[in-house]
Amino acid sequence: MAEPILSVQKVSKHFGGLTALNDVSFEMKAGEILGLIGPNGAGKTTLFNVISGYYAPSVGRVFFKGRNITGAPPYALAGRGIGRTFQVVKPFAGLTVLENIVIASFLRHPRRAHAEAQAWKVLEFTGLADRAHVPAASLTLAGRKRLEISKAMALEPTFLLLDEVVAGLNPTEADRTIELIRNVRDQGITILIVEHIMRVIMGISDRLVVLDFGMKIAEGTPAEVAANPQVIKAYLGEEHV
Amino acid sequence: MVLLPQALVDGIMLGATYIIIAIAFSMVYGVMHVIDFAVGEWIMLGSFTGFYLTLWIKIDPLYLLPLVFIIFSTLGYFLQPVVQRVLSGHRGNPLLMALVFTFGLSMMIRGLAQTIFGFYSHSIPSYFSTRSFFIKEGSFFITISAVRLTGLIYAVVITGALNYLLKFTDFGLGVRALAMNKDAAALMGVNNRSTNKFLFGIYTGISAMTGVLIGTILSISANMGGDYTIFAFFVVVLAGMGYLAGVPAAAFVLGLIQSMFLVYLDPGFTLVAVFGLLYLILVISPTGLFRKGWG
Amino acid sequence: MLIPLTKDRRLLVFLGIFLAVLLLPFVVHDAFFIRLFTEAAMWIGLSLAFDVLAGYTGYLNFGHSAFFGIGAYTTGLLMMKSNWPFYLALPVSALTATLAALIIGFPTLRLRGAYFSIATWALARAILQGIMMIPYAGGNEGIQLKAYLNPLFFFYVMSGLVGVTFFVLWFLLERAPFGLKLKAIREDQESAKALGLNPTKLKMQAFIMSAIPTALIGGIFAYWVTFIDPASTVGDLISDQALVMVVFGGMGTLIGPVIGAIIIFAFKTLFWAYLSAYEVLYLIILGAVIAISVVFLPDGVLGAAFRKGTGRHAKGSIHVTTPSPEKEA
Repeated sequence: MAEPILSVQKVSKHFGGLTALNDVSFEMKAGEILGLIGPNGAGKTTLFNVISGYYAPSVGRVFFKGRNITGAPPYALAGRGIGRTFQVVKPFAGLTVLENIVIASFLRHPRRAHAEAQAWKVLEFTGLADRAHVPAASLTLAGRKRLEISKAMALEPTFLLLDEVVAGLNPTEADRTIELIRNVRDQGITILIVEHIMRVIMGISDRLVVLDFGMKIAEGTPAEVAANPQVIKAYLGEEHV
Repeated sequence: MVLLPQALVDGIMLGATYIIIAIAFSMVYGVMHVIDFAVGEWIMLGSFTGFYLTLWIKIDPLYLLPLVFIIFSTLGYFLQPVVQRVLSGHRGNPLLMALVFTFGLSMMIRGLAQTIFGFYSHSIPSYFSTRSFFIKEGSFFITISAVRLTGLIYAVVITGALNYLLKFTDFGLGVRALAMNKDAAALMGVNNRSTNKFLFGIYTGISAMTGVLIGTILSISANMGGDYTIFAFFVVVLAGMGYLAGVPAAAFVLGLIQSMFLVYLDPGFTLVAVFGLLYLILVISPTGLFRKGWG
Repeated sequence: MLIPLTKDRRLLVFLGIFLAVLLLPFVVHDAFFIRLFTEAAMWIGLSLAFDVLAGYTGYLNFGHSAFFGIGAYTTGLLMMKSNWPFYLALPVSALTATLAALIIGFPTLRLRGAYFSIATWALARAILQGIMMIPYAGGNEGIQLKAYLNPLFFFYVMSGLVGVTFFVLWFLLERAPFGLKLKAIREDQESAKALGLNPTKLKMQAFIMSAIPTALIGGIFAYWVTFIDPASTVGDLISDQALVMVVFGGMGTLIGPVIGAIIIFAFKTLFWAYLSAYEVLYLIILGAVIAISVVFLPDGVLGAAFRKGTGRHAKGSIHVTTPSPEKEA
């Protein structure tokens, strides 16, 4: 069994009196897609923030490719190969789509000409090439989400954190994004994905981890998790898309 | 050592006036997210208005406070939409641009004041400034001038009025809701635009009124605005931006610092100390002494 | 924006203009005009330096004059009290400015935009008051240097410095990755972190880049006018005018501040020539220009002339303006 690419070990995160994450542990193999689900407020984005360096955990450690990355800042992790998108999409509004991606490309290609060339490749991969010189702020929501993914891809990551990249899109756009995610995985990139739309995350994930009130309550294949009574209880009343 | 109680008392009463400025200023920040660089200028305008009104109408300035309030709250009410436009229009950083806008505004007002009022200092004469109370406790001797006492009473009254406004009226409820969550409040029927206009008007009215009071206790000049802007920033930052409950303590700290410097050290040092402290606070704890402000 | 060919052509234009400026004294012989152009160059330089932090990084340094004063006093004191020659004293100004930028910037650059402005504003005023109380620095009365009356010398030194500053900044901010990275920090710092950018480091670099030219200009100013005091060097007017010039001209473009500086300076000169009786009006007009620029010219004069329409975004755009309770990491 190969060493896990990501290892989250007994991570807890407290904000004053509020416990957002409580003793969460799991591992990920290279090349898999792990879905992170749970009711609202379960701590999914907090976990993302811990793994991507925006928060340091109160307790516990995170290992990436065997190295301890607990508490390392986000910009250091980008260099290590971790990319992420944000739930509330945040393009650099005053710049064009191309400029947005070039900034990310600078990480691996310090020279401007190379960075631009690489950015164009990313644009083609994610399908935004026709809008390269458009101001980022004028993109539709679908375009913005796609731009988020493009920026993360430009970092040439080995590990990608996708936070709700499908939410808010219409079915056609959603399907195209799902295909994009599959293409990303085919490039050999490991993906940790958060998504509320059940049909999407059930369909795309190899395995799932379920959080509720900051604790891990289940882990396994989509079929196993769907049948888990605790999971059903946590989601009681929520509609399945 | 003999002077200490006097310094303390003076400091507290000075602090009382600062509370009002800071509360109004902080309220505007909390709801509109605007830091008004011109706060000192409103105070200055109010003080000169009081000065000239007293001169012409021959009524004691302290009785003119409501009139000054009405004049300036109306002014603020109609000025607010311009500020609003800056906040919603700018592409980059609306808060910063609003600061720049109010900065430009303060320059204009100051220039206007220098043009109209000249460079001399004045003091607003009041019946109350001639009266004092004396307290003798053992070997300690404290003079409490009537104007400063009025300042304290004024502070208490206005604070009480604002408190009542915020907690027990519908308007106040709207203000608090807007401060917490602009969009949700709007969805619940709070008229964002008119509430902002009234709030800004209250703020300018109160600042101007306080200017009159300051004019009776201390002196006024066309250039005084900058100092009071610093004082307002100081109190609000120390208290924590948007955290109204921290204002009284912070205001008293400022008042005490000022009066200590006046009594024991060179008053010229006051400003260095205040500026320096403001800088330090922003650096050590931008969320204020109680760490409850918006950093 | 990312079209290299156009940029190269623009660079040639700039070089041409710069050469023309350097050849100016061969055409204009009147010392008065030489001095005028020297001062114009000074303001162009100050505006450029201001724009690095303001336009590209999104931080308005309301205490910008502090660097000017530090540069002026460093050069002035070294020349007057320690008898250093000008060409040795001037570079030291760059050193003290860098030191000051590190000390001031380290705690303040963590703050958000508006708080940074207030903090630097307060600090500059504190420095102003502080200098007035140091006898070694001449206190309130300032210091007097040995006069060197050679308008041509100062014209070339000032223009040369400002020209070099422009080209260095143009390269760093418009051609090299640095400028784009700064803009990313300006637009969304948290998002930029995820892309591998270290905001603190970048902001500090920009701060130093803003401080050095300003201090050097201050040093030249000290030797040029031979008399400096706190009010003329650390006072508000330096920061205020730089602010107006940049906001009016167009932030974050380098060219905008140049245009803004020229226009505002021209106005200032004409004003003082004909309306000096109404000196208080100047303050009113400056303030009005700032206020009007913010409301009606969000991209400055340059933006209004060239970029109609790309400035405004639809409502509900990305920029999150609600203050967050956490301090920046």
